[in-house]
Amino acid sequence: MSERAELYFNVDHGYLEGLVRGCKANLLTQKDYINLVQCETLEDLKIHLQTTDYGNFLANETNPLTVSKIDTEMRKKLCREFEYFRNHSLEPLSTFLTYMTCSYMIDNVILLMNGALQKKSVKEVLAKCHPLGRFTEMEAVNIAETTSDLFRAVLVETPLAPFFQDCMSENALDELNIELLRNKLYKSYLEEFYKFCKNHGDVTAEIMCPILEFEADRRAVIITLNSFGTELSKEDREALFPTCGKLYPEGLRLLAQAEDFEQMKRVADHYGVYKPLFEAVGGSGGKTLEDVFYEREVQMNVLAFNRQFHYGVFYAYVKLKEQEMRNIVWIAECISQRHRTKINSYIPIL
Amino acid sequence: MGSMFRSEEVALVQLFLPTAAAYSCVSQLGELGLVEFRDLNASVSAFQRRFVVDVRRCEELEKTFTFLQEEVRRAGLVLSPPEGKLPAPPPRDLLRIQEETDRLAQELRDVRGNQQALRAQLHQLRLHSAVLGQSHGPPMAAAAYAEGPSSERTPLISAPGGSHTDLKVNFVAGAVEPHKAAALERLLWRACRGFLIASFREMESQLEDPVTGEPATWMTFVISYWGEQIGQKIRKITDCFHCHIFPYLEQEQARHGVLQQLQQQSQELQEVLEETERFLSQVLGRVQQLLPSGQVQVRKMKAVYLALNQCSVSTTHKCLIAEGWCAACDLPALQQALQDSSSEAGVSAVAHRIPCRDMPPTLIRTNRFTASFQGIVDAYGVGRYQEVNPAPYTIITFPFLFAVMFGDVGHGLLMFLFALAMVLMENRPAVKAAQNEIWQTFFGGRYLLLLMGLFSIYTGFIYNECFSCATTIFPSGWSVAAMANQSGWSDKYLSQHPVLTLDPNIPGVFLGPYPFGIDPVWSLASNHLSFLNSFKMKMSVILGVTHMAFGVFLSIFNHVHFGQAHRLLLETLPELIFLLGLFGYLVFLVVYKWLQVSVSSAASAPSILIHFINMFLFAHSSTNLPLFPGQEVTQYTLVVLALAMVPVLLLGTPLYLLRQHRRLTARVACSQDENKDRLLDSSDASISENGWSPDEEKAGCPGDEEAEFVASEAFMHQAIHTIEFCLGCISNTASYLRLWALSLAHAQLSEVLWAMVMRVGLSMGREVGVAAVVLVPVFAAFAVMTVAILLVMEGLSAFLHALRLHWVEFQNKFYLGTGYKLSPFTFTTDD
Repeated sequence: MSERAELYFNVDHGYLEGLVRGCKANLLTQKDYINLVQCETLEDLKIHLQTTDYGNFLANETNPLTVSKIDTEMRKKLCREFEYFRNHSLEPLSTFLTYMTCSYMIDNVILLMNGALQKKSVKEVLAKCHPLGRFTEMEAVNIAETTSDLFRAVLVETPLAPFFQDCMSENALDELNIELLRNKLYKSYLEEFYKFCKNHGDVTAEIMCPILEFEADRRAVIITLNSFGTELSKEDREALFPTCGKLYPEGLRLLAQAEDFEQMKRVADHYGVYKPLFEAVGGSGGKTLEDVFYEREVQMNVLAFNRQFHYGVFYAYVKLKEQEMRNIVWIAECISQRHRTKINSYIPIL
Repeated sequence: MGSMFRSEEVALVQLFLPTAAAYSCVSQLGELGLVEFRDLNASVSAFQRRFVVDVRRCEELEKTFTFLQEEVRRAGLVLSPPEGKLPAPPPRDLLRIQEETDRLAQELRDVRGNQQALRAQLHQLRLHSAVLGQSHGPPMAAAAYAEGPSSERTPLISAPGGSHTDLKVNFVAGAVEPHKAAALERLLWRACRGFLIASFREMESQLEDPVTGEPATWMTFVISYWGEQIGQKIRKITDCFHCHIFPYLEQEQARHGVLQQLQQQSQELQEVLEETERFLSQVLGRVQQLLPSGQVQVRKMKAVYLALNQCSVSTTHKCLIAEGWCAACDLPALQQALQDSSSEAGVSAVAHRIPCRDMPPTLIRTNRFTASFQGIVDAYGVGRYQEVNPAPYTIITFPFLFAVMFGDVGHGLLMFLFALAMVLMENRPAVKAAQNEIWQTFFGGRYLLLLMGLFSIYTGFIYNECFSCATTIFPSGWSVAAMANQSGWSDKYLSQHPVLTLDPNIPGVFLGPYPFGIDPVWSLASNHLSFLNSFKMKMSVILGVTHMAFGVFLSIFNHVHFGQAHRLLLETLPELIFLLGLFGYLVFLVVYKWLQVSVSSAASAPSILIHFINMFLFAHSSTNLPLFPGQEVTQYTLVVLALAMVPVLLLGTPLYLLRQHRRLTARVACSQDENKDRLLDSSDASISENGWSPDEEKAGCPGDEEAEFVASEAFMHQAIHTIEFCLGCISNTASYLRLWALSLAHAQLSEVLWAMVMRVGLSMGREVGVAAVVLVPVFAAFAVMTVAILLVMEGLSAFLHALRLHWVEFQNKFYLGTGYKLSPFTFTTDD
């Protein structure tokens, strides 16, 4: 079966795969980063970025240049590329790409609801939304009072609708509930996406499943880490863990019982994949758990490009590009705040 | 033309540009296009260079220009190309240009903003009046429900509870973009089930979008609802869909009043808008005048600053030091230009040659005739500096080899006339400006096509073919009458035997060779093809061996020019002996047999093929007579000689280099011992001598010229070369047989076309009417197919094969093609 898929892959998706590989080749190199780090002002940064694939994407920005402008323009550029992929994609790649946007949509919905809760104007919050996760009904989320309201009125037609099955409730949407909602949504989203990739089979499953497993485990760990010292009960916590990772089921049960970082680390020690990650935390350079996870993610995404005829490259490209944007924003922030000591702690993309 | 044979002498020059005059000097050089600047600051990143501020200012200006250009384009106006020569403006003018442009841009932005605002206002007014203007049915109906709820509808409105009398129907009216209407309607229904009645309606007329100017049919809607909470929700939803909401009065009368008011307002607004647009077009007119020249000037200025960024600063900061490649014969012009442009500053800029160990770029000046031939060579690879340039020989050999494959008088004539038309029209602006890519390709190679056509006519006469038909310019050398008389063919005999043989041994039948080319009588013969095959095959081999030998011969000029006498002796000579000893001998055999074996001895003629095979096998066949006395001895000698050349070729050059290298290292070691003490003393002096600045040195002489000699590499390289050459001699000779194959294919194809189309048409009928009616479409088909298949397709394939014969078989004998082109700093953009 897999041979046949490889035979026919290029008929439908060959063009896009070629394109995405070309895009990947244009990611900033180590040399570019070295040059970026040397920049004195944001203008210098802009000039240097002009020599890379970003081109004169900031050409039409009015002065003065700020970090957020750079960020917005970079996002817009990524969004343009992604839209191009999406507009030229065929099934099942287009479904795959839709799945990719769902995580951004979830983030946007949550962001908007939080904004509404804090009585911020919609426009202000909208500017912060990720353009990849934009959809028409998005701005209407603040009319909903409860989760089921939200689902019935606003999100029933969006791709997010299937993820709502677990989180229908009549609770008023306060901050905690929104956070719970986000995690529940993300959990069912990840599980669905995982199922989709698994069912698709072939190289796509071989590449995407480990990446999504890692993503699920990362979320479980981060949820655990964030829930220390909050009123979230252990049962509730366990209900939020995505179940498609390597930690499922024993690891998740243990994680649910963990009470501090040390206990969490002990759980990770049972897993060959995560042990070195936890050991790297706080080592040389004072890396946080987040950094370590990011590094591991980058590594997996780069490796995805070693195989051909699968959809994982699209996912990996967008994630790598996101990491690159985070790096640039980090460097730009360090430059603009004249805080150069930590400028080198971006995540290198191999 | 002398410069065609090898690339011109190019010198590395160092330019000392006084700081005050540096800008004008470089801009003058840009106008002339003499020098290719070398980057002396390769290690400095783009934003740390000296003139980065100026570059940034130019970029800033370009950004403004882009904005202006975009505005002009949006207004549907065109920018005329700038007239006259526009030099790069002096740096102080930049400020003026910048000010002027900024003012204009600001003005334009203001006016545009005003216009935008007015348009938006007008848009709003129109939407409002459209919303009010259409008499929506449903609100009335809804009002009716509210007043008298019938029993069937009760569930709809009794839901809020309480008595119906205090129910008040409110309205939200507005307009929404058409593609959002459906989503809005659904969302409204889902969010406030049943508490509202919404009616959507398309607007009658299209409205222009105030920003993009695209017409769109908006949807207007009136929502009637009960209850305040629902109202808030509706308002939120409409907000999120970016609807325009307008106050909607309940009384028809009041609405009418508002409508009239709105119409009046929009009329007034229209007038103001017109005024604004008039002003806008004035501003745009000024932009149109300023923009083209400004753009060119600023672009030049930026180029100058970018070039200046490649210069390094002298230690005294009084002048900039630039390095660049410049053709040796352009040096006086360069000096002159520098002097002229720096005379104002008082200090004059100077240029002087500096020695250099890098390989200079290749510069071969072409004219419109030689350009296409040089292009053929450059497409393979730009020649190394001062290497023998194959282009001048290509001028003749390329069209000739093409014509050998394309030989037909008619087709050649058509091609020639087409090319001639292009050549005659080449100065017409319309032809030059044509953008069609295919046309440009043909037009660029018009002289090539001209020669190809001309040579095809020539070879066509040799093959005696014009649209595959033979011509009889001279009387044929064969006489059928003599044959018939001599052998006494009777009428009966003739009618029984459709195929008869002419025997040249009978006196009077063969009178002598045809004066030029192939005798036309062959076109009637049934063994036409086997005769031509033998002829074309031998011709291909002869042409091929000659061509390759010429290639090897050309490498002599390379070795002589570069002073590598050892390669002359250890490479070219063995190569020539190998090639000529084996394949030159083959050519000799062919020619010898043509001259020596006559008709009378044809029956016992020796076979060259057998002889040649036996030559390699050192064998001897008794049935095959020798061509000339002492043939075997000659052949043995040649084969042994050729084989003896292989080890010479294989080992000669590397061994020579190895010996030379050993001798050199010995001498260096010897002299180093002697000079050790002296060097130690003068180390300070030597540093100051050859080190003005680290950058210069880095760019000037990277690495040692006497690159580390690696014996194994030299042996390996030579081994590859030897194997390639020796095997190549065989395979390349065989490769030239494509001349035969393609010319055969061309001849056969054109013959088929003639026999299948034209001859069929001609034999349809002899009456004038029939012939006229039939021949028109038949000839049309013949003409189209001739052009499409024989001229274009066959021409392309013959072209490709000729190209291959030049690139692979000919040029690999002497041409390396690893150089790079001189690309001088110039402002002119046309290629």
